Amino acid sequence: MLVPINIIVNGEEYHLKVKPNQILLDVLREDLGLTGSKQGCGLGKCGACTVLLNGKPVHSCLILAPYADGKEIVTIEGIAGEEPHPLQTAFAEKGAVQCGFCTPGMINAAKALLDDNPEPSEAEIKLAIAGNLCRCTGYNQIVSAIQSCAPSNSDIQTEKRGKSNE
Amino acid sequence: MSKLDVVGKSFPQIDALEKAMGKTKFVTDLALPQMLHGRVLRSPYPHAKIKNIDTSKAARLAGVKAVVTYADTPGIKYGPRTDDWTIFADDKARFYGDEVAAVAAVDEDTAEGALDLIEVEYEELPFVADPLEAMQADAPLVHDDKPGNIAAEFKVEAGDVDQAFKDSHVIYEDRYYTNQVYQAYMEPMGALAEIDKSGRLTLWTGTQIPNMMRMTYATALGVSADNIRVIVPDYGGAFGAKMENNVHLVAAILARKSGRPVRLINTRHDDFIAGNPRVPMYIDIKLGATKDGILTGKEVQVVGGAGARVVYSQVIVATACYRVDSLYRFKHVRSKGFTVYTNTVPTACFRGFGNSQMTFVLESALDMIAEQLNIDPVDLRLKNGIGPNETSVHGWKINSSGLKECVVKAAEKAEWKTKRGQKKPFKGIGLSCCNHVSGNRPFAREFDGGAGIVRIGRDGRITVYHGESDMGQGQKTTFAQIAAERLGVPLEMIYVADVDTDISPFGLGSFATRGTLMGGNGVLAAAKDAFKQLAETAAGMLEASAEDVRCRKGSFFISGSPEKSLPFKEVAAQATYDRHGAPVVGTGFYTPPTVLPDLETKYGNISPAYPFACQIAEVEIDPDTGQVTVTNFVGAHDVGRAINPLATEGQVRGGVTQGLGWTLMENMAYADGKLINPDFVDYIVPSALDVPEIKPILVEPIEPNGPYGAKGIGEPALNPTMSAITNAIYNATGIRIKELPVSPEKLLEEINKKRGQPTDNK
Amino acid sequence: MRIQPFDYWAAPGLNEALNELDLHGADATVIAGGTDLVLNMKKKNILPRRVISLHNLNELDFVLTDESLDNDSVRIGALSKHADLAENPFLKQHFPILCEAVGLIGSWQIRNVGTIGGNICNASPAADSAPPLLVLDAQLVLASKKGEKKISLESFFTGPGATVLEPDQILKEIVIELPKQPSAGCYMKLRRRKAVDVSLAGVAFQAETGPDRKTLAKVGIALGGVAPTPVRVPEAEALLAGRTLDEAVTKISDCAEIAAKAASPIDDVRATASYRRTIINVFIQRCAQNVLNTLKNSGGD
Repeated sequence: MLVPINIIVNGEEYHLKVKPNQILLDVLREDLGLTGSKQGCGLGKCGACTVLLNGKPVHSCLILAPYADGKEIVTIEGIAGEEPHPLQTAFAEKGAVQCGFCTPGMINAAKALLDDNPEPSEAEIKLAIAGNLCRCTGYNQIVSAIQSCAPSNSDIQTEKRGKSNE
Repeated sequence: MSKLDVVGKSFPQIDALEKAMGKTKFVTDLALPQMLHGRVLRSPYPHAKIKNIDTSKAARLAGVKAVVTYADTPGIKYGPRTDDWTIFADDKARFYGDEVAAVAAVDEDTAEGALDLIEVEYEELPFVADPLEAMQADAPLVHDDKPGNIAAEFKVEAGDVDQAFKDSHVIYEDRYYTNQVYQAYMEPMGALAEIDKSGRLTLWTGTQIPNMMRMTYATALGVSADNIRVIVPDYGGAFGAKMENNVHLVAAILARKSGRPVRLINTRHDDFIAGNPRVPMYIDIKLGATKDGILTGKEVQVVGGAGARVVYSQVIVATACYRVDSLYRFKHVRSKGFTVYTNTVPTACFRGFGNSQMTFVLESALDMIAEQLNIDPVDLRLKNGIGPNETSVHGWKINSSGLKECVVKAAEKAEWKTKRGQKKPFKGIGLSCCNHVSGNRPFAREFDGGAGIVRIGRDGRITVYHGESDMGQGQKTTFAQIAAERLGVPLEMIYVADVDTDISPFGLGSFATRGTLMGGNGVLAAAKDAFKQLAETAAGMLEASAEDVRCRKGSFFISGSPEKSLPFKEVAAQATYDRHGAPVVGTGFYTPPTVLPDLETKYGNISPAYPFACQIAEVEIDPDTGQVTVTNFVGAHDVGRAINPLATEGQVRGGVTQGLGWTLMENMAYADGKLINPDFVDYIVPSALDVPEIKPILVEPIEPNGPYGAKGIGEPALNPTMSAITNAIYNATGIRIKELPVSPEKLLEEINKKRGQPTDNK
Repeated sequence: MRIQPFDYWAAPGLNEALNELDLHGADATVIAGGTDLVLNMKKKNILPRRVISLHNLNELDFVLTDESLDNDSVRIGALSKHADLAENPFLKQHFPILCEAVGLIGSWQIRNVGTIGGNICNASPAADSAPPLLVLDAQLVLASKKGEKKISLESFFTGPGATVLEPDQILKEIVIELPKQPSAGCYMKLRRRKAVDVSLAGVAFQAETGPDRKTLAKVGIALGGVAPTPVRVPEAEALLAGRTLDEAVTKISDCAEIAAKAASPIDDVRATASYRRTIINVFIQRCAQNVLNTLKNSGGD
């Protein structure tokens, strides 16, 4: 049994036929080749599969593909324009990326937060990314990368690579 | 070396932006034409005879291309250290999760569906899960040829411990337990396996030890090591776990049988039940001191649970037995270690490698001694801490030691004196120190150094080849900085290749906090060689002598006359033309000044450099629930020169967070020999809200054996965290935590005992 | 992780859904957001042959105040998502306890998909939305082809994962009466970390004063995760109801003790029964203290 679905992924329309027991994450990774979204646990407990569904972060590993019908999806591959998204740059420059496996999902959650609340407090940031586990960084730098993308902190974003620590 | 352009500066990891953009291809993301998907059928029993396996129904399922069991393997016993492994369970399954069969199919759903069609006839056997119980005379045997379930014993003794205890003013003695915990790297283990026409196997896998793994797997598969190529793409974390594991070999056997490439990635569940978690340990400690707080003698006994086969547990138990002896000026020490088989998942390396378990115990004991003697814990560490240019009781030559500076700076930053002085109810502050190695001579007996290759092509593109492993910690960036510094070019000009055992140096890998020092020195030597070759070309172009040629920021010039310069690319092109197309290839290696310790006494310098640390935790305890919150954390680390302070601090923060998780929430829980929390629903790791601001302090004595003075950081980042927190809990409540993780329920019971209240109101 | 294949049908609207349930309800599994159900399908705890999805029923995604009823009430559509409810200004004003509780469900990602109807119908003993809705005397509107029926939430749960819902029925909406006098509520849950965890034990405490603003006219106490279903504890409520705020304060610890005794928790990998019971006691005291303080302050103006 196949179910037709129409979805917009990163601005492109797709008319697909999916198995109803197929998971959105698998549609993105296997059918569309968007491997930036990761499977870390498959049970919606690590956040590595986080994508934006109609602008809101969801665990794509817990979404049956037909649920996405008629909706707009943004994955990590879709958030950059010609230049990397400021969050992508900030994550890289602040040391918020180590192994990088959690990073796409983390950035998607952060993007949804900032779209909704451009000047989040530290507590709000932590709450927004609480569903995204990171095992490498201890989160401190992730929080500060997100903070640096708030409009009031835009000066921090222009910090150049290779700044001396002295 | 006085002025450095690239080393010692905070750069983002060279591959961080690509990762942030979702472009990095992890093992999970790799695919080949005709690729099949593998899944493993695992034992549902902790111990069971396998009487029969019928794979016929599974094999007939549409889309299934191979079903394999022990019968499809060469049946060779092998193992990284002990030949007690087989690819798939032979006559019996020895743990819940043991590999029994596997399927390769056109997609994952089909492969998983086929698992249900494999019929296995088991006969359940009595099992033993606890290492102390496994040592009992009547315990079931995990391996019939290992009496008493003893996998290994370790002994070390120095000085006169009995006399030392007699001479002690105070003696502290107790038993501790450290539990089995899971590394919880975000990308589960797995591999993509392909076998070419000649039968040669290529494995793409996230591994910390590509070369050593290849040797072990060659034995397992009954082929020469040359018939295996391991390629290490970017991968999602390891923390010690990603060494040998049967999952890789199962992928190889499936590829062999199906004749097609097979990608086999553990589900998270499989990774929990059949990964390589931390060795659980029972530790008895006896520690003495004079009334002035000088440590006299130390005696420990360690019983470590190996699980159903030995990965590296006996080396880990040995490390627990004696590594901490070189943290303080011990003279009289005695340790005994037993590595014991149990019917649980085989245990292995996890950041800290046994030293973390014993550091928790020793540093807890030290605080008990400090209390008995009414000495400030800071002063106790300062009195006994090992300093630079000292030789420890086991012959370890400490060149640089910033231990005392770490203690002083951490105490200052955390406002130790003030906070310790003005104690508030249920708030506390605690500290802990640690030492570690930067490479461990006895781990691989053949050698312990590192090597590098630096290739410079006609276009000036610089590629660094190393044989260690970047599991996300930033090893590539460190090597790039070292190469850039030595060659005199900006960091952007360096590209660091993935490890490919066909091309890269035969490196031992990333473990024992050795990558930066060993691999870094290897890359440094290679860069030096490449520079020498380029300098000769540049000397010709600049009409000078090669010794006078310098390069900085990508321009060659003659020492003293920087105004006349040549771009790096021009020199690289000329060098290639001079070689009729051959690239400039610098190679080099590093021979550490270490010795294989004496087998009996274990005396001998095992590492070229020893990192140290002092961490301080502040906690708040909810006296009605027993729940602990870490409110502040300072980690002062002697890292030698930090090649990349941003990355080094990142290691500290990550290590502390893992230590915090271990201390407060992480535990692999068993019932009836089965892991009952094999997922992130019930195996809880810290979220962003559980971690306070972690304040790293880098203490940077220049280490003469380190590349540009650097030592390692990976493991010391975690080693002291557990006892820093539990010492803070002691300060807050007077309750000594002797078992990890801290159970809020037990802590509450103890709090109520102290208050003279019952906990339960049934 | 494979989900066993199933027949699938997504209802375009409520009537179609009720028709379909009338025909196939008995052998179908109804799914809304699916955050619990998909997880359980992946873990093979649930192997549905036929799935009827209600996720397109936007007509059930609402929060409405209903003036047509005798008493002013709020109606919450069963397809309302936790994230929306947690931020709903009207609910925040009148039933902050409910907003707090649904705001503690899972992660943000879960709250963006999971629905309150799903949380109720899933009937987990630990469902975070249940204790607050119990203490708010929530009514459920169950719809079937035959018509609608209103029952109390308290009579809805029959055991872990089990409810009185008939195969042809769906939960359409939740109705809560608006408090007439100053009211306050508090929800606390025991977790193993500071965010994103199932409730190991949950306490909801809601109270409303009489017209004098000094006497407790209504007290609701409900527990989650410590019995086969979320439960109210009438004997604990009775100890406080009718008392003045000042009197009630002196009875908090007795009340907590009664409630803790009423709980029948189990030992599992998450916590022991005895610890859960202890925590119930502590959380009731804290919730009660908090609520009585709020009421006292609001009574002063």
